Amino acid sequence: MLINVKEYFKPTSVQEAFELFNEDRSHSVLLAGGTTVALMKSSTIERIIDLENLGLNSIAENEDSVVAGAMVTIEDFRKNPIVQKHFGNFFFDAFSLVGSWQLRNMATIGGSIAPRLGWSDVTTCLIATGARLIVYDEQGYKNISIDEFNHTPKEKKPLITNIIFPGDGYHYSFKKFSKSTFDIAIINVAVGVKLNDDIIEDTRVVVGSRPQFPTRFSAVEEGIKGLKLDATTASIARNLTFENFEGGSNLKASVEYRQHLASMFVERALLEIREMVL
Amino acid sequence: MKLELTINGRVHSVEIDPGEMLLDVLRRLGYKSVRRSCNSASCGNCTVLMDGKPILSCTTFAARAMGHNIETVESLSEDGKLHDIQESLLETGGAQCGFCIPGFVLTTKALLEENPEPTEKEIREALNGNLCRCTGYESQIKAVLNITRKRGGHVNE
Repeated sequence: MLINVKEYFKPTSVQEAFELFNEDRSHSVLLAGGTTVALMKSSTIERIIDLENLGLNSIAENEDSVVAGAMVTIEDFRKNPIVQKHFGNFFFDAFSLVGSWQLRNMATIGGSIAPRLGWSDVTTCLIATGARLIVYDEQGYKNISIDEFNHTPKEKKPLITNIIFPGDGYHYSFKKFSKSTFDIAIINVAVGVKLNDDIIEDTRVVVGSRPQFPTRFSAVEEGIKGLKLDATTASIARNLTFENFEGGSNLKASVEYRQHLASMFVERALLEIREMVL
Repeated sequence: MKLELTINGRVHSVEIDPGEMLLDVLRRLGYKSVRRSCNSASCGNCTVLMDGKPILSCTTFAARAMGHNIETVESLSEDGKLHDIQESLLETGGAQCGFCIPGFVLTTKALLEENPEPTEKEIREALNGNLCRCTGYESQIKAVLNITRKRGGHVNE
């Protein structure tokens, strides 16, 4: 229970929600799935703005992209036919490792990005797919990258309304290391590869829970571009990840441990994509 | 704040604290089958169904539940007769101390409604948010597979 909550709002438009939030940011919280907020045990939160009735819980398909409302739950997203059509089993399999069924029925896609958690498996996957955010603030709607969202100061943070996924023909693999699926990842890795026959045309290599926020490892991406997707390339990627690893230590694991795990997972992810596609 | 909650088809009008969790309200209303255990979204003992989907009541704001149908295990047994999921758990020895059973039963109910003939892998995936400290989980998996058989379905072992 959040002990100091005095007001619970259920606005029905994005504008109304944002204005309510802006009235008193330091004591307000936007509520998506609620799993993060409920566990905060914060005593400064006095106003909850529940985003349930904003109509942000559907998934649509455009010519070359998929647009998901920020309030789509992780479970609905992974089982959605449009998502499966564009991404195959990637999200279905990757998100089966996110929390438990119960948590996935509560947690939302937007709510997984908004608190800027370093260990979020969802964020790692979204960055690998090149997803962008539609956000709302005083200036109205904007299309920004997840990186831009992360660098917005807290007092200026906009409200995420939609997530746009480019349908650009990448193949993906996700790896997570944790004691159980509903434990926080010690490391998570998502790799996206665009192939021209068996040559790697472009790639996105994302490592999260380092324990810092998930980030792309451009040295690895550049290093394997133009190479054939095979076991040798996968091992080159493993070495590059090891050499260029950026992360830290915390209670869960040391930086050295994470460095080894991340390297192995990048290699395995590439081999899995090869197995899947070629 | 005042809240209207639909639990097991019955509408309750209840006074809640705006920061209160569904679990607290359910227990206050007498739905004691909903267990408080870890209170941190990890164990699944407080599972209830919201519009047919399993959620954790310890981490769901009570105010969010307004306008949704909440189901607890109390809705399952009619005239003192156990539901076939409960029967099956008893038969396989899945109900040792019994504390985690309401959560297991509800998650299983939702699983079988979505997927009447789940494979063992699908059962494990669906139930992995429900922790049991007595058994080794085998009896619960067996119980769910048995229900499929009992209901006359094909068993995907």
